[in-house]
Amino acid sequence: MAEYPAHLVRKHRVYDGRTVTIRPVRPDDEVLEREFLNELAGESRYLRFQKWVHAPSDKLIHFLTDIDYDRHLALVCTVPQGDHEELVGEARYVADADGRNCEFGIMIADAWHKSGIAGLLMEALIGAAQARGLATMEGQVLTRNSAMLRFARGLGFEIQPIPEDPATTRIVKRL
Amino acid sequence: MRKIWLDAYPEGVPAEINACAYASIKEMLEQSCLRFRDKIAFSNMGATITYGELDRLSCDIGAYLQARGLRKGDRVAIILPNLLQYPVALFGALRAGMVVVNVNPLYTASELEHQLVDSGATAIIVLENFAYTAERALAKIRVRHVVITQVGDLFPPLRRWLTNLVVKHVRRLVPRWTIAGAVGFREAVAQGRRSKLEDRELRADDVAFLQYTGGTTGRPKGAILTHGNMIANIEQTAAWMGGVLTEGAETVITALPLYHIFALTANLFVFLKLGGSNVLVTNPRDIPRFVTELKLTRFTAITGVNTLFNALLDAAGFARVPAANRGALKVAVAGGMAVQRTVAERWQQLMGVPLIEGYGLTEASPIVCVNPLNALHFSGKIGLPVPSTEVAILSEQGNEVDLGEVGEICVRGPQVMRGYWNAPAETAKAFTADGWLRTGDMGWMDSHGYIEFAERRKDVIVVSGFKAYPTEIEDAVMLHPGVKDAGAVGVPDPRSGEAVVLFVVKKDPALSAEAVLAHCKQHLTGYKLPRRIEFRDRLPKTPIGKILRRELKADATRSYG
Repeated sequence: MAEYPAHLVRKHRVYDGRTVTIRPVRPDDEVLEREFLNELAGESRYLRFQKWVHAPSDKLIHFLTDIDYDRHLALVCTVPQGDHEELVGEARYVADADGRNCEFGIMIADAWHKSGIAGLLMEALIGAAQARGLATMEGQVLTRNSAMLRFARGLGFEIQPIPEDPATTRIVKRL
Repeated sequence: MRKIWLDAYPEGVPAEINACAYASIKEMLEQSCLRFRDKIAFSNMGATITYGELDRLSCDIGAYLQARGLRKGDRVAIILPNLLQYPVALFGALRAGMVVVNVNPLYTASELEHQLVDSGATAIIVLENFAYTAERALAKIRVRHVVITQVGDLFPPLRRWLTNLVVKHVRRLVPRWTIAGAVGFREAVAQGRRSKLEDRELRADDVAFLQYTGGTTGRPKGAILTHGNMIANIEQTAAWMGGVLTEGAETVITALPLYHIFALTANLFVFLKLGGSNVLVTNPRDIPRFVTELKLTRFTAITGVNTLFNALLDAAGFARVPAANRGALKVAVAGGMAVQRTVAERWQQLMGVPLIEGYGLTEASPIVCVNPLNALHFSGKIGLPVPSTEVAILSEQGNEVDLGEVGEICVRGPQVMRGYWNAPAETAKAFTADGWLRTGDMGWMDSHGYIEFAERRKDVIVVSGFKAYPTEIEDAVMLHPGVKDAGAVGVPDPRSGEAVVLFVVKKDPALSAEAVLAHCKQHLTGYKLPRRIEFRDRLPKTPIGKILRRELKADATRSYG
């Protein structure tokens, strides 16, 4: 198990003056992660997993929070909520075995769309992937998810249709 | 924008229609009832009702609903197959000022419950055969008025008695039910006759229908269709057919269910406006009986979906229909799903008229495009935009793409819905900033304005023209305690266009395919049911945990073929 990459922790101020923290996920984030997924609209969960996720299973939560910070890196965005934190967004990549390419995924709490945190998360994630020496980052997006495709294009991803599956689109960025 | 398709319009089809030809459906119906009083409006299993009878019976049902305290805008759910009671109930509710919620009678109790709760229906009119399902749905909600009808209720006395007896006691098609306070259809008519239908003014912007249509996540949503939307689409469709059809002289075969928007507009409303006669086919799956009916009826028009035309062409005895028809047939229209070239060509060879393909969606009342009626051959395209309609092919960014390029088919026109009932977020997503309705269907336009489908980009499975969403199926399957994971995909099927194949990961090792299917039957209507169930140890996923539907689909296609 790799060490917790504390150097990736950052604080940012967002448009409404609130301060958010971007940090790698920790194994003890299970409760926050579960709350976050439970609060997401069904449609948002669908766009992320591209299938119906009724209630996140223990196995899924474990997969999302207990990571090796090497092949699998996940950054979460949190805001203070009383005496604890609330998770409002997360982005992660999982690298291929050969360590050249990685696949990424991102989820933002429904109330935090258009807040700028998606950009902050992706910027940090891309930076970490570059630092690890990965060559490309790619994602699989539902073709109808036009907001995500626009966002990805803005981040310099190339949009590549998948001929055998028009319902999904591949997006790729050279790091 | 320039409507390049206007140059390709057949002679006699106007560029624009008068979308305000009638203030409401009520006004249109009342005019037809006056003008065509003694003509047959509907026939079903040999029984008929004239326009005059439709006028009187629908007045009675309308008066009954008003006397029960229903006000203008209250929702009335109609849960009927194609029977004479359907148009009576429909016009009764509409003329009394109510909003009609069409419900597929084959819905399960939970699907029905969702639609009743979401629409807020306070009255339902249901066929007794489905009263058992309604009873279970009503256990959890408050619908104040329930009218129950039996199959033969509008047949002449002796046949009525006999039909109702046979349906109930010989063919045993009526599961036992008990709904307190339910009133029989004939009793409702009798009560309505004793009171008077109060004339409630209806205008174009009054809501006529909450017409439910599937959603990509979870449950169906209700498209709000106004009297104005419907009148516009009736006028557009009638204008398209105007050169071919004659007032008061047409007979149309109505085999598609009227609770679906296509037959509702294209058959029931358009032919009522023209003083034509609708032959209601209650069960088109009973192909031998359907073919017999076609041989006995000199029909001049027919609508259907690819699956239905295909089944007819394959049926024994159908080859004798053209001789019996003696050249009366003028128009055959197919919608709801892509038409296969082989089906279109076989049809034309046998029947002598081409199969005209059209395109539409519930949100547009529904007709958007149709091929010209004077076409000599099947075009393989979904047609030209109908009068007073704009169609644009837009890119992901919302810009118009060049002719020949693929983009999203988007529609503007007087037939386009106001939005979805109780779903402002879904409504916002359905329209662009410029007011284009986003159909979610990908296509391209040629230089004459003909539109052709590209692959559908929504992850939707189209079974005989009905949309089944993988998420809704997966959601229902996941409710089974023995299921760990589930994935549904569509595979090509020669009969229904596409069929649902379901992949299941077991939680309970003893789980059987029969048990999964039985569970599905409780929660899903027939067309959404998996044609095949396969068990897997895991579903194919990307490293990050996204399901790989294309791999599932390839797997399903291999094993299904």
